Formats: sequence, structure tokens, C-alpha cells
Amino acid sequence: MSIVDAQERVRETPTDAVSRGGGRTRVPTAPAGRARPERRRPGTAALEDGFDLGGALLAGICVATLLFGWIAPLSGIIGWIVVAYIVFVAVYAVLVGLRADRLAVANRLATVLMATAGIVVLTALVFVVLYTVGRGIPALSHPNFFVETMRFAGPLDPLDVGGIAHAVVGTLIQIGIALAITVPLGIVTAVFLNEIGGPFARFVRTVSDAMTALPSIVAGLFVYAALITLVTKERSGFAAAVAITVMMLPIVIRSADVVLRLVPHHLREASYALGASRWRTVWTVVLPTSRSGLATAVILGTARGIGETSPVLLTSGVTAEMNTNPFSGPMISLPLQVFTFVQSPEPQMVARGFGTAAVLILLVLSLFVVARLIGGRGAGVLSDGQRRRATHRSRHDLIRITHRTRTDSPARSGGTTPTQENP
Amino acid sequence: MIARSRRPLAALVAAVAVAASLIATSVPASAATYVVVSGSGSTWSSNALDQWRRNVANNYGMTVNFSGTGSSAGRADFIKGTVDFAVSEIPFQAAPEDGSAPERSDRPYAYLPIVAGGTALMYNLVISGKRVTDLKLSGEVVTKIFTGQISRWNDPAIQALNASLTLPDMKIVPVVRSDGSGSTAQFTKWMSTQYPGIWTTGMTSQFPADKLPDAKRQSGSLGVSGYVGNDNGVGSITYVEYSYPKGMGFPVVQVQNAAGNFVGPTAENVEIALRLARINEDQSSPDYLTQILNDVYSNPDPSAYPMSSYSYMIVPTAVGGVFTTEKGYTLGEFVKYVVCDGQKQAGALGYSPLPMNLVKAAFQQITRIPGSAVGEFNADSCNNKGAAGEAQAGGGGGAAGGAAASGGAAAATAGDAAAAGTTTEPVYDANGNLVSGSAGAGGAAAVSSPFTLAASSFGASQVGMLIATILFVVAVLVPPLLVRRARRR
Amino acid sequence: MTDAVTEIIPPRETKTSTAPRRSLRSLPVFSDRVFRAVCFAAGGVTVAIMLAVGVFLSARGGQALASAGPSFLWVQEWNPRDGVPDSFGIAAVLFGTVTIAVIALLLSFPLAFGTALLISEILPNSVKRAMVTIVDLMAAVPSVVFGLWGVQYLQENAVPVAQWISSTFGWIPVFAVTGSDGASLTEASAFTSSAFIAGMVVALMVLPTQTSIMREAFSQAPIGEREGALALGSTRWGMIRTVVLPFGRGGIIGGTMLGLGRALGETIAVYMIISPIFTINWQVLKTGTNSVSALIALRYGESSEFGLSALMAAGLALFLITLVINFTASSIVARSRSGAESNG
Repeated sequence: MSIVDAQERVRETPTDAVSRGGGRTRVPTAPAGRARPERRRPGTAALEDGFDLGGALLAGICVATLLFGWIAPLSGIIGWIVVAYIVFVAVYAVLVGLRADRLAVANRLATVLMATAGIVVLTALVFVVLYTVGRGIPALSHPNFFVETMRFAGPLDPLDVGGIAHAVVGTLIQIGIALAITVPLGIVTAVFLNEIGGPFARFVRTVSDAMTALPSIVAGLFVYAALITLVTKERSGFAAAVAITVMMLPIVIRSADVVLRLVPHHLREASYALGASRWRTVWTVVLPTSRSGLATAVILGTARGIGETSPVLLTSGVTAEMNTNPFSGPMISLPLQVFTFVQSPEPQMVARGFGTAAVLILLVLSLFVVARLIGGRGAGVLSDGQRRRATHRSRHDLIRITHRTRTDSPARSGGTTPTQENP
Repeated sequence: MIARSRRPLAALVAAVAVAASLIATSVPASAATYVVVSGSGSTWSSNALDQWRRNVANNYGMTVNFSGTGSSAGRADFIKGTVDFAVSEIPFQAAPEDGSAPERSDRPYAYLPIVAGGTALMYNLVISGKRVTDLKLSGEVVTKIFTGQISRWNDPAIQALNASLTLPDMKIVPVVRSDGSGSTAQFTKWMSTQYPGIWTTGMTSQFPADKLPDAKRQSGSLGVSGYVGNDNGVGSITYVEYSYPKGMGFPVVQVQNAAGNFVGPTAENVEIALRLARINEDQSSPDYLTQILNDVYSNPDPSAYPMSSYSYMIVPTAVGGVFTTEKGYTLGEFVKYVVCDGQKQAGALGYSPLPMNLVKAAFQQITRIPGSAVGEFNADSCNNKGAAGEAQAGGGGGAAGGAAASGGAAAATAGDAAAAGTTTEPVYDANGNLVSGSAGAGGAAAVSSPFTLAASSFGASQVGMLIATILFVVAVLVPPLLVRRARRR
Repeated sequence: MTDAVTEIIPPRETKTSTAPRRSLRSLPVFSDRVFRAVCFAAGGVTVAIMLAVGVFLSARGGQALASAGPSFLWVQEWNPRDGVPDSFGIAAVLFGTVTIAVIALLLSFPLAFGTALLISEILPNSVKRAMVTIVDLMAAVPSVVFGLWGVQYLQENAVPVAQWISSTFGWIPVFAVTGSDGASLTEASAFTSSAFIAGMVVALMVLPTQTSIMREAFSQAPIGEREGALALGSTRWGMIRTVVLPFGRGGIIGGTMLGLGRALGETIAVYMIISPIFTINWQVLKTGTNSVSALIALRYGESSEFGLSALMAAGLALFLITLVINFTASSIVARSRSGAESNG
């Protein structure tokens, strides 16, 4: 064929080709009379799925009841729950297998097992927290518990005298000092391990890994022997803060290390390729990307540090008075106060102890919430305020650029390229 | 980015610091003449010291801090000079049992008695669903129990002392302290002084690990008393401060004294026994100013409780290190309060008031504290005969009836529990545990499963259950099959 | 025959001065040098603190180790006496520590794994944040509260379970509970204060740490690969198994190692629950076990100088063992994909 013919053929549309009867692409036409297939809705669970789940649950309950009540001489509520669960899983697998293949059964079973793990964790937590709060309610129901100190309250005093304000203040001061030391030191060390590396970094990593298993009492003994005996000669809040730091540091380093490792390499390489220096890459790319993970690392370290009794037992001393000076005099904190209270033979002191534990849980939880609010967002996700400000700046940039291009004379060509704004 | 996110945290810390300073300034300042005094040591005495600390803060605005970290830790702190006073059950050990260096203090010091109490034997024994509250044992039987020579409750030696009880054939589970403890020290001291042939290990703060392999070891007085007080602890016996079984409403053993009577560790009985306590006056002896309790253990008074002892406060007798004359003045006033007015509350706290001979001895030592302005002992101004003055007849109930008059619901409940010991109506302690009397449900019945059927043979209810089960299984399995068939159609 | 098209050009005369050789080492800018210095300083301070603790342990424990000699490793009692070599050893104590930690990890690993996957893969966004807070809450509970809950609440309910396990699975030697004469024990007092109960409580304490770290690792698995797996028709579990888990291996092991560290070093909860013995006890359901940290906590208050030195030697042994375990784990982590590049 000639070139002209081929060119014309290229310009043809498919229908022309079909009507011409010679095109290579055949467009099939739908046969008449077939109903439209039903819409599939992928998001909602089908009725059968719910039925499978509910039915399996019922089957588990019934079989366990049968075994425990009648057939087999088993007893105890825990055994009942275990047997019911096992039967539930087995029946559920069978039911799902009636309608779907092996892969789907494995998928659903995995989901069920994961949900079980979540429920068990939830239940255990509820038990522990409810137990603590329940035994502490006699003390918690008095408002003086939160604002007074134990200066004027002794073992024989009823619960409407005395409180733990001094322990709360002590905890906040000690954990504040510990965080002020641990957070910068830990995160910079983790950055060192990941960014700079080398044999010294491997050594640091090995040592800090080993320190995560340090018994808390040894940290306390160390601070007592090194700091108190040699330097300060008396127990103080600062010594307790140092002991807490020794406990927290390895955990923060380890967790931050795991998290910084997760930052994708190509982000770093892109930053280097754009000409950023080492530290600028870390500051603007690596740390913001792993911000939520670093918040988690700090939270985990704080949780360990704030709830440990033995390091502060040896280093902070016990007092019933409010002491806001961390460098002189004993300063008690909440976990030590719990420990001291519950060892007492008087029931109202024990109730005070559980109330203190409940207050400690609440305090730590609020610290966590604050930490997640500060650092919990993922990389690149902006808060509302930040988004508004970024939009504002972009609008200004747009105005600036359009002004410049409008008023731009050729003599000023090659003028300023838009510079990279600070985020 | 990070700097910005640190700002709220910094603001939070600043706000807390401001609040803290506000709280600090709102606390009433202590009297200008008193300074802060800190001490550490015995956990055995910490209950009493906590109450006394609170009283002097209330009455005089004096600030005293006490950390209950253990007697040895307290002595070590005193040697290192990190505390102003220490409290300990045993004196500085010139020849520690494990061959380490003797405890020698460079600071000159003195011992003075501050807190007295009896070692109580708390037990948990149930006969036919009722808790036993009047078990009687002799000192020798007690020592044999804690060396494993008597291992069952129905041993003839125990049965001979308790003719009114039909003791069960159950293993005795001794519960001992797993941590170093002053209670262990005082208990083993009594055993080694009175029965050296049976208890051969001498006095120790750490109950020997190789003795009694079947014993349970728990940490702290709370641990041992909690174990015995638990339902799982039936058949167990332990040695603990009296305040714990008193607070829990649990019975304690009545120990046979030298006069042949069976007495309990009430405040009065201990105080009577301690009237024969002597202090080593030999200045050249390394045990100068320590207690000599041999006569206490064998006190012939009909109401004396044999296992009585007291703990020391170790005070500096020279200025130096952290200790100043102002602290000496404060410490002197504190000790004077403790041995005089403070002893009034000893009974309510589970201890016993110091007898006069020990109070006089304490006053002699207070004058040696540099800076103290406490004068000579004056019987009129130092009256510590508070609740202990009400004499209780020897024997009888185990709880301190009269001493329970002070506030604190626990003490009152314990008193009620003891008084109601022989009635049949159930008596419960502060935690709702059955103390004595028969509960309607017959005490510890066998565990019944929650879903039992009345009869075990095949009857109407069993048929109904079977049909119901089959129906349920059918209801579960059939509909999916039906639905599948409907879909395919 | 020679072709006139190709012309051979002789090389030019080389210059006498050779072209300057360029060094390929990067010249860091001043800020980078400061950054390196700061990082090294931080690493140095961290190592200094930690080595100080290690040196402290060795120095204080040295006296006891010198007195005991190598028998420290296999003697099964604890009665430290200066000059008597066989008076104390960590065999039983270390065995108990490892037993409690192993039980704790066996119980907590499946729970943490399942919960982490649940949070990162299955839960919708609204519930996810609540569940993360709940797991954090669990980390917030102080260890002394766990100890109290374990002694006063869990023990009563766990003893019947332990009794059932030992009666049903008693043919496995680990689950049997026998007295010194070989007869099996059934009364409740033989099941209290055991490694099993301590392990359960410690499992609850290490759970939040493990869960959080695993969750962080799983949530960073590359979206492109996830969607690719799903597009190829795999089920969600298949996608998890093939994409998320291999990626998260570093997080799994890192979280587990941190949990193991906590389990080995837990003091207060263990010391409130267990009834310490100084012989090796293979029967985890039976009463009596021990742990290095509980031993130190129980004995430091009433120990003399030599006793304290022996306790520090035990602490040093624990420290060294953790070093070895963590070293092995970190070499596995270093080869995992977590953090490797992907085309996400």
C-alpha cells in the first residue's frame, strides 16, 4: 500500500473502520436483553458475615454451657470462657468455609484472632484500672486529697484530712528535670546512631541496648553511690531525677532508633540532592517525618521513668511536706508515695495509696495526651492553624510573584527565582 | 518545627512551676526555732514515726522527715552521714554474720529506745467452716514450727495445748519474710535466746534460705500478713507487727509466758514485760546502750508477753557534717515528744508504750545531743500512761480492746471482732472478710460451677436442654445453606 | 586496504603540569561540622553515663566475684560470706529471672502482635486513636500497682487455672507440680507466688511497649506495595503477611527486645509476688522462683558491704546477658527491611 493510504487509515476513527468493514479492531456490541448486573457495594458487610459471627458466638456459648453444666465435670468461669472461645473459633471457621475458599477463611480467622488480642488487652487494662480506682474511691471522693499535703495527716487520721499535693508537685518537678535531660540527649543520640554511624555508633547502640534491662534498683543504687555519697550528701529530688534519667535514656534511644530507621532513604537522598547540608536534612526532613514516632519514644520512656518506685526510693527520700526545691531536702513523688501508703497496716492509708495510684495514672495519661497532641501528627500533616498560615503565605507569594512579572522589565530578566520558603 | 512544638510544653512546665511556688508559699512556715530534720531506717517503726511526725507538725510546726528503707539502710545512711538520725532494731553490727567489714560510725552516736512492740504470730486456721480465734502455743512449739520440726496442725504438742479444739490434719505453712527485716531480727533473737538448742542460727535480719524449704517467703509485713489473711492461706502462720493483724481483724496466737499463762501481744502485756528491760551500761563494751532482753523474755509477771522488744533511735552526739546545733535542738524536742506524749498513741497504732525505766534511759541520752534543751526527766510533765493504763486481765481476747478507743474505724472494728470472738453471729473486719462466727453459707464451701443442673440422671430438664441445644445448632448452621440455595436460584 | 574515511589522530602533547587530582572526600560546611560534633558529644555522654553504671557494677561487684571465683556461675544458694567460695551463686537466681521473662514474653508477644496489627490495619481511624490512648494508658500504670493487683486480685483467680493446667497437662514436665518426694501437689498453697503468676503480671507490663513499637513499624509499611498486593487479588491477611510483616520485622524484634529488657529488669511487681527460693525450679506453675532485681531489692536494705557486693555481681551478670541477647537481636534487625528504600 502507499503511504497516503496508510496515513488516511491512521486518521480514521474506529467506527469508520467498522462501517468500512475493514478495520483490525472489532468493537463488540452488547447482546440485547441482558439485565444490568447488580451494583456491588464493597464497603458494607454482608448479612451472612454478621450471621456467621453471631451464630458462632452462640454456638460457643451453648457448647461451653453444655460441657460445664452437664456433660463434663468442669468448673470455673475462666475455663468456661476458654472453652467457649475455642468452640467459637472452630465453628466460625466452618461457617466461613461453607461459602468461601481457604484464603478467605484464613483472612477472617486472622481478623478474629487480632480482635481477640485487642479485647484481651482491653479487658486486662479495665480490670487493673477499675481495681485501682475502686479501691481508691474512699480517698478520691474527698477534695482535700488533691490540694493538701500529708504534713498534718498521720496513720490514724480519717480520709478527710491530708492529701498528695506534695507528691504531685514532686513528680512533675522530677519528671520535668528528667525530660529536660533525656529528650535532647536521647534524640540526638538516636540521630547519631542513624545518620552518622560507624564503629563508635555501633558501640553506643550495643551499650544502650544492654542498659534497657537494667534493674531499676541498680539505677537507684548507682545514683546513691555516685551522686549522693560523693557529691550532695543528702537525698534530693535532683538525685531522683538523675536516677529516672538513667532508666529512661536507653528506652528513648532504642525506640527513637527504631523509628528513625523507618524514614525512607529516598527522602534523605532527595534532600541531599537539593543541596541541603547534613544537619539541615535531619532538621527539616528526618525529624519531622518521624515526629509521631519520636513522640511515642518519649512517651514510652516517660512511662517507664515516672512509674518506677525503686530508683526513687533510695534517692529521693520520703517526706510528707511540700518541697519545691529539687536540690535540697527529700522530695517524694507519686509512685514512692503509693508504695509507702500501701505498706501501712491502717486501711485508710491503703485507700490513700490506691487513690494516689489512680491520680498517677491520670497524670501520666494527661502527659501522654499532651505529647501526642504536640508531636502525634504524621509527617507533612499540618494542623488547622498551620494550614491557614501556609495558605496565607502562599497567597502573599502569589501576589508578590504576579506583581513582579507584571512590573518586570526585560532588563530585570533573570531576576529573583522564587526562593524556598521556610515551612 | 520542633522549637515551635516545644513551646506549649515549656509553657506547661512554667505554669506548673508557678503553681508549685504558690502552693509552697501557702504552707504555713514552721516556727523560727525549728529546722528540718531527716532520718531513715526501720520499717517496723515507720507507722509510729509517721504519726509522731504528723503530731509535731500539727502541734509545734516542726518538720521531720522519715524514710522507711530498712534498718540496715538506715544504719548505713547514718554512717555515711546522709541523715540526721536513724532508727533500727539492731545496733551497729561489730561482727556481721557474713564476714564483711564491721559497721563502724565515725560520728559519735548514742542509742535511745523509742518504740516498743510485741512480735505477733498471725495465723489462719479454719475448723468446720469457722475461723479459729483462740489458738494457744508455747514458745517451744513456736520455735519448732519455724524450724520445721512440727509440720502438721494436729501434732500432739499443739493438740495438748488446745484441748478445746479438734485440730485438722493439715500441713502447717510457715510464712516468713523474704526481705531483710527488723521483725525477723527480733523474732530470731527471741528464739535464739530462749531455745538455742532448737534454733541454732542465732539472730539474723534475713530469715535463712536453707531452713524451712516448704515455707512461703513474702516481702514486707504487708506481704506476709496479706498471704495469711487470704483465703488461699488457710493453714499458714507468720510473725509480723501486731498492727497488721489488728487492722485486718485477724486473730493472733496467745503465747505461753514464764508464769504459764497464755497472753496476747496487747499494748499492756508488752509494756508489762518490758519493765524488766535493761540497758547495757558498760561504756567499754561494743554493745553499750543496747538492749538486754533476757529478763523480758522470761518475765514472771502473769500478764507479760514474752516476745516483746523495742527499737532504737540512733542519734549523733557531736556536731558535724549535715548535723548542726539547730538540728540538735529540733531533734531533742522531737525525741522528748516521742518518748512522752507520743507514747499515748502507741497502743492505737499497734505498738506498746515504753515503760518508765526505758523513758528515763531515753532522757539520759537526749541530753547528750548537742544543742538539745531538754532537761532532766520529770515524771509529771512526761506522762505517757495514756490508754495503756487500763489494765486488761491476762489471757482473753487477742485484740487491744481499750486501746481501740481512738479514732480510726479499723481499730474499732478490730475491737469488735475480738469481743465477738465467741458468738455465733458472723463478724466481719474492715475489708469484709469473715473474722469469726459462722456465715450463712458455711464458710469455704466447694466451688460450685455456675451452670449446674439439679440432678445428674436423665430427666425432663435434661431432655429439654438437649432439644434446645440441637435447635440452637440447627439455627446456626441451616440458614446459610438455605440462603446460598436461594441465591443460586 | 586503508580507508581514507578513518583518520587516526595522534595524542596531544601532554602538559607538563598534570591536571589537579580532585579529592572525592566531601568538605563539610561549618554547620555540618558542628552537627557532627554535637552528635558525637551526645553519643559520648550517653555512653559515659551507661559505662559509669557498668563500671559501678563491676567495681562494687568485684570484691564478691574475687571471693567466689567461677563457682559464682553454678552455685545454687545465696548466703554470701567473704572467704567462703561456694556460699553464693546466681545459677538459681538467673534461671528464675529468665523463666519469668520467657513466660512474660510468651504471653505478651501474641497479644502485642495482634493488637498492633489490629490498630494499624483493621481499625477505622476514629477507633484507632482511642485504642492507641488505651494502650498508652496501660503503660501509665505504675509497677507497684501491678504488683498489688497481682498479689491481691490475680493470684486468687490464677491459682485455679494453674491447678487445672497442672492436672491436665501434668505429663509435660514443665507443667507438673510435684513435691520433694515426687508426688504431685494439688493444694492451693503449692501454686501461689509462682513464676507463672509473676510472668503474667510482667507480661501486662511489657505489653504496651511492644505494641507501640510494632504499631509504629507496621504503619510505615509502603502504601504502594500494600495496594499492589491488594490489586493482585490477595486478601487483607495475605497482604499483611507478605508486605507489612516483612517490612515490620525490625519493629517486631526491636519491640520484643525492649519488652524483654523490661521483663528481665522488673523489680517491684516481681518482688511483691514471688516467694524466693534458691534452687533451680523447672516447674513454672509451682511456688517458688527468683529474680535478680527482686533479690537486690529484697536484700539491699539489710545487707552488709560484702552482701551488697554480691548483689552487684548478680546485677552485672544480668547486664552482660542482656548485652549478648540484644547484640544478637540487633544484628537481625540491621538486616531487616524496615527503613529500606521503597518506591512507596
